[in-house]
Formats: sequence, C-alpha cells, structure tokens
Amino acid sequence: MLDAFSRAAVSADAKTACIGSGEIAALKQYIAKANTRLDAVNAITSNANCIVSDAVAGMICENTGLIQAGGNCYPNRRMAACLRDGEIILRYIAYALLAGDPSVLDDRCLNGLKETYIALGVPLTSQARAVAIMKTSTLAHINETNTEAQVAESNSMLQQRYNKMATVKGDCSMVSAEAASYFDRVISALS
Amino acid sequence: MKSVVTTVVTSADAAGRMPSASDLESVQGSIQRASARLEAAEKLSAGFDAVVKEAGDACFSKYPYLKQAGEAGDNQGKVDKCYRDIGHYMRLINYCLVVGGTGPLDEWGIAGAREVYRTLNIPTAPYVAAFAQARDRGCSPRDMSPQALAEYNSLLSYVIESLS
Repeated sequence: MLDAFSRAAVSADAKTACIGSGEIAALKQYIAKANTRLDAVNAITSNANCIVSDAVAGMICENTGLIQAGGNCYPNRRMAACLRDGEIILRYIAYALLAGDPSVLDDRCLNGLKETYIALGVPLTSQARAVAIMKTSTLAHINETNTEAQVAESNSMLQQRYNKMATVKGDCSMVSAEAASYFDRVISALS
Repeated sequence: MKSVVTTVVTSADAAGRMPSASDLESVQGSIQRASARLEAAEKLSAGFDAVVKEAGDACFSKYPYLKQAGEAGDNQGKVDKCYRDIGHYMRLINYCLVVGGTGPLDEWGIAGAREVYRTLNIPTAPYVAAFAQARDRGCSPRDMSPQALAEYNSLLSYVIESLS
C-alpha cells in the first residue's frame, strides 16, 4: 500500500533518481491542502451511513424489482449484504482519499471484486448505480452543497437529520475531484 | 511502504472501521512536520553529488588501508562502487525524508545489507565513517533550517546504527 509520498519514492526508485524539486512541489500541494483533505475524509466518515443507505435506497427506487421476491435485495439478508458492501467500498474510498493514492482501493477492494459479484450473481449495473449515487452525495458532503430540497418545510424531524459540517468555506475543488476519481475507478472496475 | 498514513490505514482496515478522529489527528501531526522534511529532501537532492563525494572521501581518508592490494578498495572499480553505495543510501534517505518514515531505507537499503557485506567481505566501518562525516558536516543556517537538519541527521544516525 502506498500514499502520495511513498508513491513518489517508488517512482523515483524505478529511475534510481533522487526526489527532486519538481516532485516535491507536487507534494507541497498535498501538504498545503492537507486540512481540506482531512475535512473531506471526516465528511465521508461522519456521514457514511447516510451516504450508503441513501445510495442503496436510490438504487432500489429506480429498480423496484430488486426488493420483490426473486430480486437481488429481496430477503433482508441480501439487502443487508448490499448495504454492507456499499459501506466497504466507501470505506476504501475514504482510505484512498486519506492516503492521496488509489493503491489501497485497488489492492484491497477492487482486485477481484467484479469476478466475485459475477460469481455471486450480483447485478453489476445496480451496484455501479449505487456507487454513482454515493459519488454524488459524497461530493455534496465534501463541498457542503448538500441541500434539504427534498425535505418538506413542515417535516422538522427530517430536517434535523440533515447534517452539515461547520467547517470554514474553502476551495475543495482538488480534493473533491480526487474523490470523484476514486468513485469513477470503482464504477469502471465494475463495468 | 511504511509511513504514518499507511500505518493508520492498515490498522483501520484490520479493524474494519472508517478512519477515526484520532487517525486523522496522527496524519495531521505528521503533516505538520512534513515541510521541514521536504526542505531537507530538496536540499539534499540539490547538493547530492557533493554530499556523496565528501562522505566517500571521508571513508578513504579515515581508512587509507582500504586502497592497499587485497583490500575492499584496491582498484578504481571497487572505489567507485563504494561511492555508488553511499549514493544509494543518500538517495534512500532522500526518499525517507519525503515519505516521513524509514520504510524506503528498511525495505531497499537495510534489509539484507549485513548479509551482503559479510558475503562480499566488505567492512561496514568505512560506511559508518562516511555517514558520520555527512552528519557532522551538516550545518544549520548554511545548509538547511534547524528542524530540517534534525530530520536529516536522525536518518543518517539510523543508517549508522544499522551498519554498526
């Protein structure tokens, strides 16, 4: 497993060269944006359950056959497995985002995932759709653009569930683009 | 590759949990020291050839017998290899400064080094002399900031310990 720093060491070692100013400038970017990155990881971990359950619920709303008898989310046991898998994928994406490098996601999560799902008869398109919804809501949590548009004004109980981190507003474009790339990596590994 | 981030991720993964607040704190802690480390790495790579030459010269001036017939540096090819090895260690120190842990030195430098040197009948004391010279030669305001020099020197000490 590598992080942004050890990735630089491994690629420099392949050339038996020192890590020079060019690479170090890129790493200084990582350091300058480190607090943004940690806030982004925190945004994922603090809302993991919400992100995962929303995504699975959204996937099922779009394809209600999944929870009818014979569907792949039909008994609670399989629904639970689906929620668990969503959380596992999101967890490895959080690790990759923390490390600034996708190697942990590739090695420990995506390697063989598609083959496993095919063997178990899990529909890949549904899974990819759930990951795509997780991507959208995670990016909203990172950028704090999550809205309560879907919640009725009168429904105060639902409004209380709406979670926004009280972090200072800043430029999250780099870290959110990086997070998006990890979700895309999962989606392309599944298709 | 062992670093603060990978250690944190490995332990979180072993427990199957999301990165916790304390995990994020320890990453933040390592990042606070990172600018000094990167400064040292940058300065080391800028003056790399000079550092290697001085360190290599030090080992042959402290142990001139090495160049006598039958010793580890009795022809130019062997002497060049000594400088090359010192360069390898310095390069790994550069990586360690960037990574923020001793992973590169452990995995690519130290693991098996003792066995290799024993098999090839190469004394390690001259390497110690070379790195001790490099450690003594570093000077704070001239070469790099005090914190950067401390990080650099601690890695040189780590190499010296492994070779002693």
